[in-house]
Amino acid sequence: MTQRHGEMRETYPATGESFRYRLDEQNGRITFELEGDDSEDTGPAIALAIESRASGEGLCRTADGDSHTFAWAWVGPELHLWLDGALYIFQRPESRRRGSSHATDQTDDILAPMPGTVLEVLVAEGDSVERNQTVIVMESMKMELLITASRNGVVRRVSVQQGQQVERGMRLLEMAPEGGVAVE
Amino acid sequence: MFSKVLVANRGEIAVRINQTLRAMGIAPVAVYSDPDAGAPHVVTAGQSVPLAGSTAEETYLSIPRLVQAAQATGAEAVHPGYGFLSENPRFSQACRDAGLTFIGPSPESMQALGDKLRSKEIAVAAGVPVVPSSPVCMPGDDAAKEFVARWGFPLLVKAAAGGGGRGMRLVNRQSELDADMEAASREAQAAFGDGRVFLERYVANPRHVEVQVLADAFGHTIQLGERECSIQRRHQKIIEETPSPALTPDLRQGMGEAAIAVARAAGYVNAGTAEFLLDPHTGEFYFLEMNARLQVEHPITEAVLGLDMVEWQLRIASGEPLTLQQDDLQPRGHAIECRIYAEDPYRDFVPSTGTLLRWRPPSGPGLRLDSGVTEGREVSIYYDPLLAKLVAWAPSRDLSLRRMEVALSQFLALGVVINIPLLRAVVAHPQFQSGDYDTGFLEWNPAVTSPYIDDETRMIARALAAWASHQPVGSASPTEIASPSWGEPGRRPTPWRTLGNQRLP
Repeated sequence: MTQRHGEMRETYPATGESFRYRLDEQNGRITFELEGDDSEDTGPAIALAIESRASGEGLCRTADGDSHTFAWAWVGPELHLWLDGALYIFQRPESRRRGSSHATDQTDDILAPMPGTVLEVLVAEGDSVERNQTVIVMESMKMELLITASRNGVVRRVSVQQGQQVERGMRLLEMAPEGGVAVE
Repeated sequence: MFSKVLVANRGEIAVRINQTLRAMGIAPVAVYSDPDAGAPHVVTAGQSVPLAGSTAEETYLSIPRLVQAAQATGAEAVHPGYGFLSENPRFSQACRDAGLTFIGPSPESMQALGDKLRSKEIAVAAGVPVVPSSPVCMPGDDAAKEFVARWGFPLLVKAAAGGGGRGMRLVNRQSELDADMEAASREAQAAFGDGRVFLERYVANPRHVEVQVLADAFGHTIQLGERECSIQRRHQKIIEETPSPALTPDLRQGMGEAAIAVARAAGYVNAGTAEFLLDPHTGEFYFLEMNARLQVEHPITEAVLGLDMVEWQLRIASGEPLTLQQDDLQPRGHAIECRIYAEDPYRDFVPSTGTLLRWRPPSGPGLRLDSGVTEGREVSIYYDPLLAKLVAWAPSRDLSLRRMEVALSQFLALGVVINIPLLRAVVAHPQFQSGDYDTGFLEWNPAVTSPYIDDETRMIARALAAWASHQPVGSASPTEIASPSWGEPGRRPTPWRTLGNQRLP
């Protein structure tokens, strides 16, 4: 019998909460229990029998006998889990800092929402921009995409140039809040 | 018949064309860009020619390089597939000038029909109803103002050379019109090399139904029934079925005759598709455009008629008569196609890129998969995110939908975000199942594009994720079990194998 504790965060299909858990494993049977902040404090639990058919793939059975097929793979810091035809993505909390492509909403900076090519940069360093103003035109998979500012602010730095290929989550513009940090 | 044909395309359609070529004893020649080295469309061809570069412009859209590749390999004909240069009259002209047979219509009828405005004129002359539209116009010019004054908003901006929803915008108010016309024009310029746009009356929530046509060089034209294409996102189809649940026998006959009339009026030869808007309430239909190429969704027609569209394209292009008669065509059963896209249905359909760490499509009675990818391949930003098409056939609509639902639930894909959950949600939706749906389906049913997880599934997913995260890292490596079917094992190390649990910069 092995017992493990850990913490994970759901990031797909919806950005969900972090959860702490206790995992007991013995002879292919696992008991998974959610824990509160206090480890004495236990929440809902589930028991599963896991049959691993091939590496990275398996079949699990719940207590009432329902079986579910699943597979998983690490994609960078993300654990991608395929379960009965749907995708779920999880992260270890410590990997959150490693530039997650989903954590695009906690910054004023303007990030690329999808991979593609920068067609046009419509602002320069020091420009004031208003909320919803179009600042960059991108193209991805033959679709043109207008990137707009999510709030009023000042362009501190333009991080890309016309024609550049960008990945999802890559910073396009570094922004300072309106009336905030002066531009050097 | 030809002995060697160059396929000027990539992805699933190039693989599918290779299959027919080989079955007919014709040698396929593939072309490929740098990121497509070793791709299924290359491996399934006997011979291949590299087109150095990554972007479509440098490779699959380069007329001189494609013509040169055909000549260098001794191909007698070129199949353009769909997209890329398939509806570009300059390409079919360049093939003709180089002594190559272009598998499709002549440059003249392609020019006439590929231009959405010309094709409308042809339809009107043939007595087929069309949606009112403006001539080609520029932001703020008289033609645009006149049209807006007459028909108001909302309206559609469309690319004259357009197709596949590219260069198309729905405009709701005057203040957005100029910017949308400019954006549509830029998009059309990038996609088709032709930035001309026009305005069209917006018919709210119509059904989108199309009719397949085949015509030979001797004036024999037949129609191969309809395809219902109303399930769309961003004006692009994602699910198609045949027969359409919306058509009565009278409507079916009327649309079929209209499609033949347009094809005849344009002197059309080879396979083409007449697209119609259908107002489900009044039963009125309007001709939209003629697609002068093989359609993405042609397999559902093949499924109910038991024929091979590409084989007929080749026969007609090589000068054989079309021996099928209209009365020979008796559709059997029902077929549905789902387009498997590398895109996120929960985040505005943003395309997704990465390595396909797992790719295990389902199989079973009545299923067909046309796929352009294999496990371990990269999905890049350079091309369309369509990875594959899954088709389910059954004697009844009900059973074909259920076969599709089961197959989608078994479709294992990991590493890239794929739209399968959305496809499942639509196919399982009571409104879709009732057959009473239109092009506004996704708007009316926002639940299908929002994730929903019940409590038990969430617990199981969390438990499995926690368990999997404690497994030795190597146990989730796909390379050990990678399918060797495309050969060259180990030649394409995945970033996963070489870098371990590291994200590429």
